[in-house]
Amino acid sequence: MDTGNDETENEARARGDDYLWDGSGEPDPEIQRLEDLLGKFRHDRPAPVFPEPNLPEIVPDRDSRDRDRRGTFFPQWMRSFPVLATTAAAVVTIAVVTFLVYGKKPATTIVAGWDVSRVAGSPRIGLRAIDWKEGARRFAIGQTLETDAQSRAHLEADDTGKIEVDPSTRLRLLTMAAGGLKRIALDRGTIHAYIWAPAGQFVVDTPSATTVDLGCAYTLQVDDSGAGLVRTSLGWVGFKLNGHEAFIPAGAACATRPKVGPGTPYFEDASSNFRAALARFDFEDTPQQRAADLATVLGEARKADALTLWHLLTRVDDEGQRVLVYDRLRELAPPPASVTKDGILRLDQPMLDRWWNELGFDDISVWRHWERTWAGEATPVQQK
Amino acid sequence: MASSSGDRVDPAAGLGLRPVRERFAAEVSEDARLVGDARAGDRAAFGRLYDRYARMVHGVLLAKVPVGDVDDLVQDVFLLALRRLSTLREPGSFGAWLAAIARNQANDYHRRSVPEDQLTDDASENESEFSNVSGDRPSGDRPSGDDSSSAVAILDAIRTLPDAYRETLILRLVEGMTGPEIAARTGLTHGSVRVNLHRGMQQLRAKLNPGDSPIEETQ
Repeated sequence: MDTGNDETENEARARGDDYLWDGSGEPDPEIQRLEDLLGKFRHDRPAPVFPEPNLPEIVPDRDSRDRDRRGTFFPQWMRSFPVLATTAAAVVTIAVVTFLVYGKKPATTIVAGWDVSRVAGSPRIGLRAIDWKEGARRFAIGQTLETDAQSRAHLEADDTGKIEVDPSTRLRLLTMAAGGLKRIALDRGTIHAYIWAPAGQFVVDTPSATTVDLGCAYTLQVDDSGAGLVRTSLGWVGFKLNGHEAFIPAGAACATRPKVGPGTPYFEDASSNFRAALARFDFEDTPQQRAADLATVLGEARKADALTLWHLLTRVDDEGQRVLVYDRLRELAPPPASVTKDGILRLDQPMLDRWWNELGFDDISVWRHWERTWAGEATPVQQK
Repeated sequence: MASSSGDRVDPAAGLGLRPVRERFAAEVSEDARLVGDARAGDRAAFGRLYDRYARMVHGVLLAKVPVGDVDDLVQDVFLLALRRLSTLREPGSFGAWLAAIARNQANDYHRRSVPEDQLTDDASENESEFSNVSGDRPSGDRPSGDDSSSAVAILDAIRTLPDAYRETLILRLVEGMTGPEIAARTGLTHGSVRVNLHRGMQQLRAKLNPGDSPIEETQ
């Protein structure tokens, strides 16, 4: 983001935003007024008492020791008998339990996977249903989790995130590497993912694209034909198939089709004409129709739809169409000075990336890093 | 734009994609030390982390959650972080990791309770909400009726901005953090924070003074 935002940052500096930035420079009366009013909502609570890992040792006070002494006429050695007996019983019990647990089978290891709990109905891991009496069950690598029309499930992994699984969904866990790729296949249905693992580590394969978490929260749907839709609510998500890629920031959605891959992402509040023309352009049109639908998309585009137009630069049929997209995108979101028309028309990747960063979504280098690191391991899997 | 610009800097910072400015390098290493101590069971070290990051967490939550519920959620976020501290791989990225937990908690809050569109409560609801919150504060701190409703209206206006702008603006205008502090606490780059402040403030001015300047389209 540093590079891409340099000009906007300089622009902010040039406009005398120093007071907004760090309180230096000429005070801005409007900002001061806002600070005064909004400061009332400021956090002002002291730190709570956080739980201790171990309770402190409880030492009886002098009075209670005296009371103990006064309350009995047994000699000292007899008074300690119950303590000794209890200790001996505990030692024997521990020894027996240890023998029973570890004596007959190898030590238990923690299986990599997700903890699954039932939310409704009877979700199944393999053939075994999770019933209402059960707590969380482990969803391990190679297993299948399936919900029927009445079932819902909740998955959670401490170092990755959590997933809500809607009815009529089938998931398979492919990999779960600590500190590495966590990969799930969504064969059909709907999941809502809330991910806190580092960007690029949580990947969902669908029959028509690979979804890469680059942000916090999104919903992914796959129908029985393998067509999919991702809707991002926080952060951003990458969609990829055979070199066809799409970046979907919060508030945006993107459809995908088997053998075609991801369509062009769009903000869900774009006009209905815009969205309909884009859907035809991506998945239905003949070459002649594509030109007409492209014209509709460009004509209806708002500033926010720079998201869609940036993606279209690499998706149009020829240079003539690319010039049209470039000109409209430049009107809506001018590129940084280091990006030239020639460079964009020949699809110079660094220039495309710099223009993306200028749009103000997120730093595309996160995605480029993911491509270098994981892309080879995260190719879409076949539908089962 | 409706994005959380730079929200996920945690990994990038961990991968060395975003160099931390020198002036905050000492703080990052101090964070790493405190995280290490807290992992070893030192609650005082975790308390220091709370002191450093509570305003950031409060601001992130306030961007999405009704005022009256924010303080409880701040505690939830820190308790969750304490429980999961052992899963944090880059102790120097504690801020970005904590911010992600706070955003998830805010998200969970809405899944559990209220529909998204109740976020921008109307002034009368916020009025009572605000009076509940200010009940814990010294009476001298309590705004007058007019100020209270203005503050609520401004907060509502900020909450209509895209995620990245609303969080950054709330951290600056409500929590009183400077841009460099926001960058250090959230793991965002200075450039991202400066741009978010600049663009967010532009959009907020347009919303608060619709007659004075042309309303910019939401990016």
